[in-house]
Amino acid sequence: MNKGYLCIVLHSHLPFVRHPEHEDFLEEDWFYEAITETYIPLILVFEKLINDKIDFRITMSLTPTLTSMFCDSLLQERYIKHINKLIELAHREVERTRWQPEFHSVANMYLSRFYEARSTFERYGRNLVNAFKSFQGLGKLEIITCGATHGFFPLMEVCRASVKAQVKVAVSHYERLFGKHPIGIWLPECAYNPGDDEILKQAGIKYFFSDAHGVLHGTPRPKYGCFAPVYCRSGVACFGRDLESSKQVWSSIGGYPGDYNYREFYRDIGFDLDYEYIKPFIHPDGIRINIGIKYYRITGPTNDKSPYVPDWARDKAGEHAGNFIFNRQRQVEYLYDLMRKKPLIVSPYDAELFGHWWFEGPMWLDFLIRKIYFDQDIIRMVTPSEYLSENPRNQVITPSMSSWGWKGYGEVWLQGSNDWIYRHLHQASERMSELAKAFSSKNTDGLMQRALNQALRELLLAQSSDWAFIMATGTHVNYAVRRTKNHLLSFTRLYEEIKTNSINEGWLSEIESKDNIFPEIDYRAHQ
Amino acid sequence: MPARISKKNKKVMKSKVKRIGRERIKISVQKSEVPLQVAVGESKFYLGEQPSRAYHPAQELPAGYGRDKIVLMARDPWWIYAYWEITSSTIDRLREKLGHAFVSSKRVLRVYDISDIIFDRKNAHRFFDIEIPPETNNWYIDTQGPGRSWCADYGLRLTNGEFITIVRSNTVHTPLEGPSWITDEEWMIPEDLFARLYGMGVGFGSSPLKLKRLWQERLKRELGSGAVFSISSPMKKAQKRGFWLAVNTELILYGATEPNATVTVQGQPVSLRPDGSFTLRFALPDGKQAMPVKAKSFSGSEERTITPVVTRETK
Repeated sequence: MNKGYLCIVLHSHLPFVRHPEHEDFLEEDWFYEAITETYIPLILVFEKLINDKIDFRITMSLTPTLTSMFCDSLLQERYIKHINKLIELAHREVERTRWQPEFHSVANMYLSRFYEARSTFERYGRNLVNAFKSFQGLGKLEIITCGATHGFFPLMEVCRASVKAQVKVAVSHYERLFGKHPIGIWLPECAYNPGDDEILKQAGIKYFFSDAHGVLHGTPRPKYGCFAPVYCRSGVACFGRDLESSKQVWSSIGGYPGDYNYREFYRDIGFDLDYEYIKPFIHPDGIRINIGIKYYRITGPTNDKSPYVPDWARDKAGEHAGNFIFNRQRQVEYLYDLMRKKPLIVSPYDAELFGHWWFEGPMWLDFLIRKIYFDQDIIRMVTPSEYLSENPRNQVITPSMSSWGWKGYGEVWLQGSNDWIYRHLHQASERMSELAKAFSSKNTDGLMQRALNQALRELLLAQSSDWAFIMATGTHVNYAVRRTKNHLLSFTRLYEEIKTNSINEGWLSEIESKDNIFPEIDYRAHQ
Repeated sequence: MPARISKKNKKVMKSKVKRIGRERIKISVQKSEVPLQVAVGESKFYLGEQPSRAYHPAQELPAGYGRDKIVLMARDPWWIYAYWEITSSTIDRLREKLGHAFVSSKRVLRVYDISDIIFDRKNAHRFFDIEIPPETNNWYIDTQGPGRSWCADYGLRLTNGEFITIVRSNTVHTPLEGPSWITDEEWMIPEDLFARLYGMGVGFGSSPLKLKRLWQERLKRELGSGAVFSISSPMKKAQKRGFWLAVNTELILYGATEPNATVTVQGQPVSLRPDGSFTLRFALPDGKQAMPVKAKSFSGSEERTITPVVTRETK
């Protein structure tokens, strides 16, 4: 008999980045890199576990912006181009490093990874949603949704119609893709604001997650801390994040990804190799960028790096998986005595931590699942819906406003570098509600309806928390500013054209084909 | 950055805070500190250090929307952000109406603590004023009051002390900075037991520290992580290097033969361009490299071998 549960949550998200107006667009690389380094490696891990008949449970949020990109034929085609170029470069690298055996074997590793990425991508019809959907069908993966464009809900408190639209649009998008209703949601940035659970309830969502202090600082006090879910007054369940297990993966002191045997993220051949040689593979403007071939291991605290040794890294990943399980077992046993009830450990991570940032992350996850399955019976992997069906009786509290961002609240998304956006976002939201109300009962003709729907798309795209995040962290700031302004400007123009019944169809078609997210959207969601 | 508050007002607030009786956690942040999770999140968008690309929008967002309005946003247990717009016609009207009194008046944000009441302008638990320079349109307010409800007026304070409201804000609620004091009868839990669960929850094991201190420790740790970043990658941004020099050598081997011939270099096949030429590029380590280049005609009847030998030595 197990003494406790482990719920691993992978939050996968990228903002909607699609630029048909340019042949090559730097920021689209975020998506291509994440496919090669995170999503496909995770898919391969899940596939192998299933082939080996190993039972497991992972909860995964796939944000509507990300799944929209997975389904987009232009981006699919561009990914093939991207991976073909990487394969070509990897071939050259295998050749170039012929006299350096320590690099040669790593070059070969990349070559075979890139081939495998391409064939996996093709195998799922170039749409990775198909892969995740099949794992969900087998009961191994519980796919949950997120805010439609990952808007930061607590900062939309004065225009909650936008929170509703974020949730409703996400839910109908999920239904269209996965053929069922989403039972859970990952609130963008794990940010909960009391009252938002009512909106989730109306949308038929049964649970969400909050950071530890969301539950721990809830009212009244949670009897089991964050080791059992709680119900909000609305009846929607809230699962609190466990910081102990997060720390082992995230922490800079003794956190797994910092191990010296693991691959160094910041040494990339895009910057290390001769300019003329690498030029065809970097940005067409000649700007050096990360390419994804990285030859060094972390090695130590200085800038002197030694070559990566895949076998050593693999051994470490196994060791770290064992260490993680050992610690969870001790944690569960301790809590079991304290609570007289099986504790639930909720460990959420950014999916992009695995593979992209922490190259060995997917391997670690693979070891982890296998060891849990074969070597022990103290902890059992569980999904939130499984847990709730086995443990339906839980305490009722109101969780506290919180996020999993730095310092636990809204400071990353509301500070000197990005606070200017909110007056415009709120104004646009108010105007969208005005439009939705004015046209809710009217029979809108084709053109008017298209304009209204596009207005909602532009508003949602402007609301992505990523733009504020990027403004705060300082890389690609111009891009984030541009995206915020362009969507707001398009929204305002649509608003004015709708109000004066003077819709410019040519321009509307142009932005419809550019910002083509959520083809099924209904502007009435924003009220 | 955020803290903008006059000394005078701060004094007023401190005395008020005592009445509420919650201590405030002092947080100071330096911009250079990069927290862990931010760094990982940021890595999603990291394509290497980029030169910043200029962006000139075709059009700018409007400076205002022509309506008097003030909005509050709760940022965390202590801070509220306020933004507002006051139209010039409103200001003109007031100037006309008040005459000399307008000139000597101060622009003021009056912040009301309206926790658990229905606010009727007079019944706030307390309020404090922040003087605002006339051209400013936003402010970070240090409420020093977690777990309270707030609303604010933007208005004029005349020299005789009279306050004229121009616009009133929405209501916001600052979250608690620690566990609730309210326990559920049905689910009663002894304090020490809760303290242990709480310690586990915030990632401190079953440490016997007091509840609030545990939370403060967690915040401090997050803030402090910036310093730890410099120790080991990848939990940090790329290190800024001091002066440095890196030198590598590569060797280009090129040649041509009949387009339909087969060519090997060091026994490995080489693909030819349509014109029969070929180029290979090798990283060249120290030592001696012999590169037998062997071409065989299509019919297999003819064969040539040329063997360049290169030595690299680093001094």
